[in-house]
Amino acid sequence: MFGLTLKGLLARKVRLLLTAVSVMLGVAFVTGSLVLTDTVNAAFDQLYAGLTKGTDVSVRSKAAFTDTATMGSPKPFDAKVVDQIRKVDGVAAAEGSLTGFALMLDKSGKPIQPGGAPTLAAGFQTDRELAGGFSMRKGRGPEAPTEVVIDAGTARKQGFTPGDPIKIMFETGGQRQFTVVGIAGFGEADNLAGATLATFQMSTAQELLGRSGQFDTIDVRGKTGIKPDELRSRIARVLPTGLEAVTSETVSSEASKSVSDALSIFTKIFLGFAAVSLLVGSFIIWNTFSILVTQRSREHALLRAIGAGRRQILGSVLAEAVVVGLVASGLGLGVGLAVAGGLRGLMSVIGMELPSASLQLHLRTVVAAFAVGVGITVVAALAPAWKATRTPPIAALRDAATPAKGVSRWRLAVGGLLFVGGVAGLIRAMSADSQVAAAGAGALATFFGLTMLAPVAVRPLVRVLGAPIAGSVTGGMGRLNAARSPRRTASTATALVIGLALVVGITVVASSVKASVGDVVDRANKADLILKSASQFAPGFPSGVADKLRRVPEVGTVSEMRFGVAQIDGATTYVAGVDPATVDRMANLGVESGSLAALGTDGVLVNTDVATLKGLRVGSPFPVKFAQSGDRKLRVAGTFTDKTLVGSSYLVSLDTYNANFSERLDIAVLVGARKGVTTEQVKQAAKAALTEYPNVAISDSAELKKTQNDSVDQLLGMVYVMLLLAVVIALLGVVNTLALSVLERTRELGLLRAVGMTRTQVRSAVRWEAVLIAAVGALLGLGLGLAFGAAFSRSLASIGIVTVAVPIVQPLVCAVIAALAGVVAAIFPARRAAKVDILRAVVTE
Amino acid sequence: MSMVKSPSGVRTAARVVNATKLYGRADSAVRALDNVSVEFQGAAFTAIMGPSGSGKSTLLHCLAGLDTLTEGQVLIGDTDVSRLNDADLTLLRRNRLGFIFQSYNLVPTLTAEENIVLPLRLGGRKADPQWLAQVVTAVGLADRLHHTPAELSGGQQQRVAAARALISRPEIVFADEPTGALDSRSSADLLRFLRHAVDEYGQTIVMVTHDAVAAGYADRVLFLRDGRVVDEMTEPTADRILDAMKGLGE
Ligand SMILES: Nc1ncnc2c1ncn2[C@@H]1O[C@H](COP(=O)(O)OP(=O)(O)OP(=O)(O)O)[C@@H](O)[C@H]1O
Ligand SMILES: [Mg+2]
Repeated sequence: MFGLTLKGLLARKVRLLLTAVSVMLGVAFVTGSLVLTDTVNAAFDQLYAGLTKGTDVSVRSKAAFTDTATMGSPKPFDAKVVDQIRKVDGVAAAEGSLTGFALMLDKSGKPIQPGGAPTLAAGFQTDRELAGGFSMRKGRGPEAPTEVVIDAGTARKQGFTPGDPIKIMFETGGQRQFTVVGIAGFGEADNLAGATLATFQMSTAQELLGRSGQFDTIDVRGKTGIKPDELRSRIARVLPTGLEAVTSETVSSEASKSVSDALSIFTKIFLGFAAVSLLVGSFIIWNTFSILVTQRSREHALLRAIGAGRRQILGSVLAEAVVVGLVASGLGLGVGLAVAGGLRGLMSVIGMELPSASLQLHLRTVVAAFAVGVGITVVAALAPAWKATRTPPIAALRDAATPAKGVSRWRLAVGGLLFVGGVAGLIRAMSADSQVAAAGAGALATFFGLTMLAPVAVRPLVRVLGAPIAGSVTGGMGRLNAARSPRRTASTATALVIGLALVVGITVVASSVKASVGDVVDRANKADLILKSASQFAPGFPSGVADKLRRVPEVGTVSEMRFGVAQIDGATTYVAGVDPATVDRMANLGVESGSLAALGTDGVLVNTDVATLKGLRVGSPFPVKFAQSGDRKLRVAGTFTDKTLVGSSYLVSLDTYNANFSERLDIAVLVGARKGVTTEQVKQAAKAALTEYPNVAISDSAELKKTQNDSVDQLLGMVYVMLLLAVVIALLGVVNTLALSVLERTRELGLLRAVGMTRTQVRSAVRWEAVLIAAVGALLGLGLGLAFGAAFSRSLASIGIVTVAVPIVQPLVCAVIAALAGVVAAIFPARRAAKVDILRAVVTE
Repeated sequence: MSMVKSPSGVRTAARVVNATKLYGRADSAVRALDNVSVEFQGAAFTAIMGPSGSGKSTLLHCLAGLDTLTEGQVLIGDTDVSRLNDADLTLLRRNRLGFIFQSYNLVPTLTAEENIVLPLRLGGRKADPQWLAQVVTAVGLADRLHHTPAELSGGQQQRVAAARALISRPEIVFADEPTGALDSRSSADLLRFLRHAVDEYGQTIVMVTHDAVAAGYADRVLFLRDGRVVDEMTEPTADRILDAMKGLGE
């Protein structure tokens, strides 16, 4: 039986390939993300293992909690600890290190800001062995306060060589000039995961970073023969409280983990796209197998008549599905590897440079690829295969063309219920804020209800959509053929519905976000100017900016904001530091109870929604866990409603912030003009004053809206590319369905050609059929997408979507393009249809 | 049943000259037609008979431009069919020829009426309502026009096909065993209609058949064997045809 299946499959290679492709892309997404994750992790493991080589134990401040967001900012401590450690028995060498913020400027004075990676300053370690993988490639180490060693990546890209002058900015102030005296690499890599690194004499680094007499880590090497664990516990005994000793193994595994945590969001997004394309693919598989089973009902009946059991029929259909799945998985694996390679290249283009490592194809990835590919295909083919076993032997004697069965009552009832319930959920989500659950459940129920009802809707939809072309003979035929097998058309269209509904839905959410940004800025902002980092990847900008602005005569008010990570009720969240004296003059916070003035050094202003949820009132105790300073007992100083400009539900005073965080970078500075000075005038004055801060973007509220919209568009572009792949898969489904239909209609096509239909007319009829199928999918996708988008926009009010804006033109254009793409999908089947051998067709049987 | 040929204005509707058709490769070729030359007069009903495999269908297909000869010529009127490309052949079939096949004659998605006017619509033309009514009445389908083929009997379907073959008033109608799948009553209905078309409208018809009774409706019968025309009969009757067939060894 399997031999028969295989023979049949090989005879139809093109179809096999087309069917497999629908699942292949999903598998490629899965493998691509796994391979990329493994590769990046392997590369970082290698890198960190290299960096910590030569160090056995590290000493650092204990962190109250660790989180991806807190990595790299250990609390500095007294440098004298190093002397105590050197005295510990078994220690061969110990040296402090210090890391902080430094932004280098390129030769034209622009900041060198890598995308997504930090810009670091460090103290140069004189013990070359402790420095591990950090090695001099050119020149020498810094020997004077004005000398700096920079990373090889920056040197290469910006063309710095030893002897060149370089300008660098720090947390506290403006630009300072140094001389490059050396270029350093990190083992094989030119930089640390894309980060820039400026290394100074240790004492210079301490002064520049504002940590005189302090280190944030001490690296220790043991004498030969002493185990790192033993050394660690000996050192731990002499440490003052608040410090801990850890083996370098721990350090490098923590570092690797933070990288893989940071990457996991990437992986998750990718797996999300994989899920979408697999869902689309499964519809196509299901449809293809349904058609095949119908076409072969005679063959199956014959087999049954001559004694084949139901199991054998089931087996033969599923065997075909397994082969399709295997082909799909194999192709997907290959494409996935290519995708991983491509993505790595893309990441380095946007500045996330990864240390080199060959692509990692683990057994787990291969297993996952085949499990997903074969699994989805077989599951999707199960129902059609089951249907095949129901073919009665008598069907062999009947006409091959089994009339399309109506939709069962059961299906109508369940589908109708789901659809109505889903629509109700969506309406509920649209009519009240923050009904995420209603929106989600509504979207799912609507989609599945529609899927079940689609076969009933197809006929009237095709009739209406096809009305304008019914007048032409080929258009009329395409219209009839599209409605001929409603189930087939419905499931083919459904594949398109998924992709298009997502594209349209996300377009709606995005336009709501954009509209909201405008409203939010208008409503919340009272400042004339808003200063932010020019790069969205930068962690903030030096506090010197605010100091400088205070000395500008046109400036009336300067209000700084800082951001930090803390744990509240066990959840890691952002806390904003604001200036209680000025912030309410620059922003509408909507303080409901308590006051900004009450913030003091232990107060927190809590967003009203959060306060209601947690049952907090003015004066309630409010414990917060800070990474560096540990548990602090704060209290609620008041509640506020509008967090859109501050971006956090928890506000503390700058004093509280500074007491608990060592960073001194501002995330934003709000500026108000002095009385009588126009926005334009204060803007020019600020620009003139801040020429030495090219990393700061000065915008008025209109410009702020625009930059925010631009970043929404950027994100949207990326999402579109991924989702368009789902649409493309769906169009491949249209190709597949049409090709099978054309095959089924060989005789009819031959007849038409015999009575005078030209090849052009045949092609045109197939094209119209494709366009109509695609148009059904596009119309349903458009409707669903608009509803989903509106429902989700409304339910995401909590993340700052205050205005639901449903765009019409963009989604409509999407839908029309999708429908017209049917023309492209029809190319291959139409050509086949036009090539039908008339004689063969009319003579067979 | 004997019919008198139209006495005057006899014209040649189609002609094959030295037609040879080979199937397969040269060394093991099947000679389906072997140097056949024959003329088909206008406004006449010609039947082609012969044992299975004698080349009847091949001859018909080549005449109708559905297949090409290995050697020789086919002329429809003055048009040399062997010189036409696919597009011209399609137009020839659409505008100047009609077809009735043994089975599967109709497009299942179209109604009887739509099937009948299909060749015209493909050419962007409208049916002359009078002519349509005439043809439809003649085939006795006036009350079945809005049914789909699945709702018609085999005989009705063949009559729809016959009506379609006539709707564009073609120069020749070709029929390959049009009654092959019908019972004798349905056969008689269809054949009477074809005869009627020849007599009343001067239609030219070429029909391949195995059935002596069917061939008896024709004005002239050609006998084929092994790809050659071996006999010919005018004013045929079923009995005479049967005798002739015996002589051919069937
Ligand atoms: N496509 C083909 N390839 C090879 N040989 C063919 C092909 N079509 C027909 N033949 C051969 O050509 C010869 C004539 O075939 P044709 O179909 O014309 O016979 P026929 O007289 O119509 O027979 P029947 O009465 O059975 O329909 C036969 O020997 C047949 O086997
Ligand atoms: Mg034949």
